[in-house]
Amino acid sequence: MTQMLEAVSIVKSFGAIRVLEDVTVTVRKGEIVGLLGPNGAGKTTLLNIMAGYETQNSGTVSIDGRCIDGLPPETRTKAGLARTFQSGRLFPELSVTENVVLGAIGAGASIKVANRRALDALEMLGLTAVMTQPATGLSHGLSRLVGLARALTANPDYLIMDEPAAGLNNHETPALLAALESIQRESGCGMLLIEHNVGLVADACSRVFVLASGELLFEGPPEDALADEGVLSAYLGDATMGLHGGRE
Amino acid sequence: MIQTLLDALSYGGLYGLAALGIGLVFGVMRLVNFAHGELIAIGAYLMIITIDLGLPLSILIAVAGTAALALLMELSVFKRLRLAGPSVLLIASFGVSIFLQRSYEIIFGALPISGQIAPWMSGVIEFGDTTITRGSILTIILALALLLGMRFLIESTTLGLQIRAASSDFQTARLLGVRSNYVIGAAFVFSGVLAAAVAFVLVTQRGSVDPLFGVNITILALVGTVIGGLGSLQGAALGGFAVGATISLLNSFLGNYRVYTYTWLFILVIIVLLMRPSGLISNKAYKERA
Repeated sequence: MTQMLEAVSIVKSFGAIRVLEDVTVTVRKGEIVGLLGPNGAGKTTLLNIMAGYETQNSGTVSIDGRCIDGLPPETRTKAGLARTFQSGRLFPELSVTENVVLGAIGAGASIKVANRRALDALEMLGLTAVMTQPATGLSHGLSRLVGLARALTANPDYLIMDEPAAGLNNHETPALLAALESIQRESGCGMLLIEHNVGLVADACSRVFVLASGELLFEGPPEDALADEGVLSAYLGDATMGLHGGRE
Repeated sequence: MIQTLLDALSYGGLYGLAALGIGLVFGVMRLVNFAHGELIAIGAYLMIITIDLGLPLSILIAVAGTAALALLMELSVFKRLRLAGPSVLLIASFGVSIFLQRSYEIIFGALPISGQIAPWMSGVIEFGDTTITRGSILTIILALALLLGMRFLIESTTLGLQIRAASSDFQTARLLGVRSNYVIGAAFVFSGVLAAAVAFVLVTQRGSVDPLFGVNITILALVGTVIGGLGSLQGAALGGFAVGATISLLNSFLGNYRVYTYTWLFILVIIVLLMRPSGLISNKAYKERA
């Protein structure tokens, strides 16, 4: 059995509006996969369905062949699927370290293990300088990195990231890329990257899926996506900024 | 003068404990638990009923009984209303409060039950020309010990970390896998323990208990949690302390005009809320959700 996170033939409507139409996305363990698409393409809806925040009308989500439909998000976390949030969703009253430790506690780790994982994640993402600060004072970009560190401490088999590079500056984005590669190398975690920064996706991902108007437009290597006429017309008018130096 | 200050500290500590008990449950559930007063009342009833067994055992029974009733409240009523809005929870807590008051009337009678709990607390200690009551000193020590104990529990333990996270943003805490029912149950139990401590101090002062025993202090402690900042545990304790200390000082300074104590108290409350609508220590996450 292939170790894989799969969302197969997903259909989702909000009232009369069909936002996902028979979409299939797969992430193998140890692989970084990109999910691209213009605003309103259905990327975040697909992510929410995979992570258990929304329910699909039809289709199936599974981890390593085990169907996880109907499981709430916290149970999916314990089953090996973690996610980051677009807004970070940190606890403002807690310190950076406490925020990160909670990711492991929530996944069922002991406090000793949680502290060790938190320190490892903070070091990997270059966040040790802010580890004692309260989360409330962090920049937008740093909040996202702390959110990523928190997700990593759950020790996930698969990690879904919602625009982790948004708000990062020119120094932070390469650091994020290095961190993603390090996570891939050290933990063997499969990652699904929803990102507008096509440059980052092209550098980090071995495969990309491109969504447009709720339909899957392309699946393949990122360099082929950038040469695909359908993708170009649907998306790249918006994203070439990311390709040529980053839109952030 | 020293007695006045000690009384203020003692009252402040007592109301701080009551407000922290209410604030703990509000933090994790957004529930303003009006039935907290009935937890205080059951603690006092249990102490008076079991005092013949000796004070330590009586206190132990009261603490265990009050914590058990708090947990029973959560399991039998509030757990079933997890998806309900704050207004439904508020009405439910009114219902629980009135149900318990009537139950106490049926079980213990509507008239006060008297009993001597730790009569040595009403004695005085002399320091040169100054005499101070033992009750004030012991209340301050008890409040300080419990507030520091709760602070340690909340700031330095894994359970405390989960309670603080749930108080800050319950939904995100749950999504991360924090065991919500466990955290809420623990908050109710701690709230019950704090209610028993308040019951002990009040019953030693008053010497009797009736079905409405805990209503007055609960309402004023609720005012304290609002002044301190809804959703902030430190704020709740601080706000409760401020209300209790202010009542004590006003009682002392107004002398024969002490009938106006609550008038002045609520004037001060309104001024504080006009200057700081979010309370003395605001919970940023709560404010953003509001």
